[in-house]
Amino acid sequence: MAAPVPWACCAVLAAAAAVVYTQRHSPQEAPHVQYERLGSDVTLPCGTANWDAAVTWRVNGTDLASDLLNGSQLVLHGLELGHSGLYACFHRDSWHLRHQVLLHVGLPPREPVLSCRSNTYPKGFYCSWHLPTPTYIPNTFNVTVLHGSKIMVCEKDPALKNRCHIRYMHLFSTIKYKVSISVSNALGHNATAITFDEFTIVKPDPPENVVARPVPSNPRRLEVTWQTPSTWPDPESFPLKFFLRYRPLILDQWQHVELSDGTAHTITDAYAGKEYIIQVAAKDNEIGTWSDWSVAAHATPWTEEPRHLTTEAQAPETTTSTTSSLAPLPTTKICDTGELGSGGGPSIPFLISVPVTLALAAAATTTSSLLI
Amino acid sequence: MDLRAGDSWGMLACLCTVLWHLPAVPALNRTGDPGPGPSIQKTYDLTRYLEHQLRSLAGTYLNYLGPPFNEPDFNPPRLGAETLPRATVNLEVWRSLNDKLRLTQNYEAYSHLLCYLRGLNRQAATAELRHSLAHFCTSLQGLLGSIAGVMAALGYPLPQPLPGIEPTWAPGPAHSDFLQKMDDFWLLKELQTWLWRSAKDFNRLKKKMQPPAAAVTLHLEAHGF
Repeated sequence: MAAPVPWACCAVLAAAAAVVYTQRHSPQEAPHVQYERLGSDVTLPCGTANWDAAVTWRVNGTDLASDLLNGSQLVLHGLELGHSGLYACFHRDSWHLRHQVLLHVGLPPREPVLSCRSNTYPKGFYCSWHLPTPTYIPNTFNVTVLHGSKIMVCEKDPALKNRCHIRYMHLFSTIKYKVSISVSNALGHNATAITFDEFTIVKPDPPENVVARPVPSNPRRLEVTWQTPSTWPDPESFPLKFFLRYRPLILDQWQHVELSDGTAHTITDAYAGKEYIIQVAAKDNEIGTWSDWSVAAHATPWTEEPRHLTTEAQAPETTTSTTSSLAPLPTTKICDTGELGSGGGPSIPFLISVPVTLALAAAATTTSSLLI
Repeated sequence: MDLRAGDSWGMLACLCTVLWHLPAVPALNRTGDPGPGPSIQKTYDLTRYLEHQLRSLAGTYLNYLGPPFNEPDFNPPRLGAETLPRATVNLEVWRSLNDKLRLTQNYEAYSHLLCYLRGLNRQAATAELRHSLAHFCTSLQGLLGSIAGVMAALGYPLPQPLPGIEPTWAPGPAHSDFLQKMDDFWLLKELQTWLWRSAKDFNRLKKKMQPPAAAVTLHLEAHGF
């Protein structure tokens, strides 16, 4: 055999090395994207390789055990969300990348939940939707609105992606609106629709800026004011009525007042000295449903200032009056000191007992500290 | 015979002529009159009362008609019933209606609706239904009178009956039972919608009337009421 010409041999080797290098590091064709259903089994062939080709599979750069292979195909059983990733198969000896699959594990969409509401009557209404369970893969939604046989435009909300807005062209319509939504992803499709009358979906936003104030020299009164929701466009022609509820924090039972107009009300039967929680809801005078409850306002009715102390002899009485002004809660019991160390008792008795101890200690020393 | 739904309305057209000659509510002629404000409030209150009454009446009547009319999802296309006065109106047009037009539209609508309701009463099968319908018709008549009072107080003339209505009542050929029920369904639906609309109409009138009470009194004097 003739000896190879050295320079030709090097050139061939260099070319071969270059080919191998480019094949390993050249920009890959985009990986094949594949969606598979959670819990199912999938077999990933290594591109166009023969079944008996010797290949190695990697997921996200990590080698996969060969017991997952069926010939050159990768078999995955009982797909879980963790199986999502970039799968690549390489020729075992040359490490030549043969095929890539970007696998997404997900679910077909369940029936979407759709609801519509008019908080801007008579301007229009909006519809919003969501899926009851996640699909883990991208979904596209398509909403259509029909008024009788007329198609209406539903403008996408600029901020919220699962909401769109419809403007009323006509008021006082006897024809129902029908809103349909279809959702689809790579694994399936679903749809739903709702039908309603113009009047039934009217529900204002809750009243804003609810403020409760004590009334000077009136220990049983609280003055409550609020504003009509800013989203309600025309309170003059479409007046709202209001529902007020209030209770002292220590009780569970609410008191209710319905008000046909005005944005203020004075509570006259408050328990003296107790902190109250107050909320307001709104409704169109004639149609629709009540809004959600507003953000709660808190207030305590006006109480008379306690008189200043003057003599040492009054010190013990001062301590008792200190405890009584703390308004002991119905669930409170006077705890004995043995409970304090156990850590299992309720915290409230602890809070009551400590000031007593401190006040007694203070009284025992001097009275000057009690003078303001 | 091929009849379109809605021809039953034509049949009853003559009855409507009777209503146009309703005795006009005596004009307000007392001195120190507070103006139309209280009667607008009264009219508003009547629409609320009627709307409440209609809810139970419609429920009973639709049950009497049977399915699918009493199903909440029933959503038929609006075919026929073309002579029924429609409450639906373009939003901007409604906003910009002047008081006279607003009141006139209400008056005309209820006049027609009352007429058709009386026809309904005629055909109702059970005594209980006839009683409820008759009661409702009386209340609706009261609403008409109230609207007429407001119009008179503001110096607006009551609308005249349209020309061309046949004075003699000719019983037309009966058309299908189902189509008749469809007409009844739309009548009740339109009535309910009108009552909602009227509440809003009278709200608007109430707000407009509040400040210039003095101006209204002058207006009354000028018309010799």
